[in-house]
Amino acid sequence: MRYWWKKNLFKIGFPVLSALVGLLLWQIFTSLSDIPSFIFPKPSEVWQRLLSVIKDGSLLFHTLVTLQEVILGLALGLLAAIITGYFLAKSRLVEQVLAPYIVASQSIPIVAIAPLLVIWLGPGILSKILTSALIVFFPVLVNTIVGLRSVPSELYDLLRSLHASSWQRIIKLEIPAAMPVFLGGLRIGATLAVIGAVVGEFVGADQGLGFLVNVGRGLYDTSLVFVAVFTLVVLALALYGSVVLLENRLLSWQKHNGES
Amino acid sequence: MKLPKIVVILAVILMMVSCVPGMPANLVPGELTHVRLPMGYVPNVQYAPFYTAVEKGFYAEEGIELEFDYSYETDGVALVGANDLQFSLVSGEQVPIARGQGIPIVYVMAWYSEYPVAVIAKSDQNLKTPQDLAGKRVGLPGLFGANYVGLRALMDYAGLDENDLTLESIGFTQVEALAADTSQVVVGYIANEPIQLAAQGYELDVLQVADYLELVSNGLITNEKTIAENPDLVQRMVRATMRGIQYAVEHPQEAYELCMNYVDGLENADQDVQFQVMEASMDLYQTDPYGYSSPQSWSNMQNVLLDMGMLKHPINLEEAYSNEFIQ
Repeated sequence: MRYWWKKNLFKIGFPVLSALVGLLLWQIFTSLSDIPSFIFPKPSEVWQRLLSVIKDGSLLFHTLVTLQEVILGLALGLLAAIITGYFLAKSRLVEQVLAPYIVASQSIPIVAIAPLLVIWLGPGILSKILTSALIVFFPVLVNTIVGLRSVPSELYDLLRSLHASSWQRIIKLEIPAAMPVFLGGLRIGATLAVIGAVVGEFVGADQGLGFLVNVGRGLYDTSLVFVAVFTLVVLALALYGSVVLLENRLLSWQKHNGES
Repeated sequence: MKLPKIVVILAVILMMVSCVPGMPANLVPGELTHVRLPMGYVPNVQYAPFYTAVEKGFYAEEGIELEFDYSYETDGVALVGANDLQFSLVSGEQVPIARGQGIPIVYVMAWYSEYPVAVIAKSDQNLKTPQDLAGKRVGLPGLFGANYVGLRALMDYAGLDENDLTLESIGFTQVEALAADTSQVVVGYIANEPIQLAAQGYELDVLQVADYLELVSNGLITNEKTIAENPDLVQRMVRATMRGIQYAVEHPQEAYELCMNYVDGLENADQDVQFQVMEASMDLYQTDPYGYSSPQSWSNMQNVLLDMGMLKHPINLEEAYSNEFIQ
């Protein structure tokens, strides 16, 4: 019991305490300074605005729109990165041919191509899904390649000696072996997916949390901007936490092996 | 002795970085008052009067050293409201919206006489009156800003609401959206999108908001503190800007050439189109008298914003603008 308390105080208590102290300092700073609320609102004003958008249902609506874009963008980015990553990891030739394009594509700021995606794909959800997928693609791709290349060659020899099929090699060896590194990429990708969707919404959208930020800015309602930004942070943290949970579940065999 | 590769690479990078020309040393302002002016948009020929006023020394003669700042319009409003800057160029609707949020800005000089927003369609869409917007797919940058306000003003005039047409937020891609027929109608600035589209050979129908409703348009703002503590600076700023407007209108070719010093890539752009954009902007400058905004235009703007819900309560319009500095 004492151990549980100690562990959770460290894991939950300190972050919550840190957040509360941060809020308190923010409130004191904005109350004592004469910074107007359209430049930097007080936490109490942001809280009031949060309650109002929860009450009228608009926060939930816009959050669900962004969440949908993020999940679909993440799924698309993952799928593209895993398939491409597999072939790149397996063939040096494919890597040599595709690497310049992939690396070059990463040097293009997503904000620069987002307007083009709106022109090509229209102002609907598709352009937001694609901006999200594009930003997810690279970190997951790199980790997929690194993960697959880290599989020890002796294990391939072992499966060959057991006459394992290609499918069995993928399922029994490559996926489990690459999983830890791949999940590291997914952690980064999950948070980047939120940024990608919001960039898409900034360019042209009439719904979603990025749109809510634009509305707040357009109306000098800085409290609304803060509400939308904090909701985005919560969304990114929730996605990150989900990946960590998934990681704990999928990699539990590693712990058992370590303990045995 | 052979240096390690990494040291050589770092040394080369360092040399390249050190070769990048630095920011010019701060000019010694002398007796000049330094004014940073947020323009609300990228460098563009529409700002010809301001470039002209700098180049002809009108600001310097008034004791002002002007620095252009191409940040967002809303940032300009917030910075002026917080008294971090003294002036900004903004679209007319920003003033009631900002004052409705308690931001103490004051509009002191009209730059455009007419609200510059228009709805544009290819002629096969048969957009002859605002009522023809009914049933159309209308693309606009977003549900905020001058384009949205202008469209809603036209819709109000035509007795339409948002259920009568489809609004699509397409970012600043109006030219492409209309050319590719992804939007049947787009909302843009009269001095920009219609000229760009016409230059590509499209026959267009264009309805300008100002032909149906008088709304306060783009102009110069300051804040209450600057007016109270330094009215002379406001007077000098307005006077120099108005001289720039007048000079640019009277010498369009020279004004266009002066724009070359400020608008990167203008030499390589389509000169005819860019000159037309500047001329169309000049048509908008010509308020009578220069710099004047009418009480009716303010009252109409307030009503549109109240109808849209962008303004929750009426504001005291007399505090929002002043024509005294254009005298």
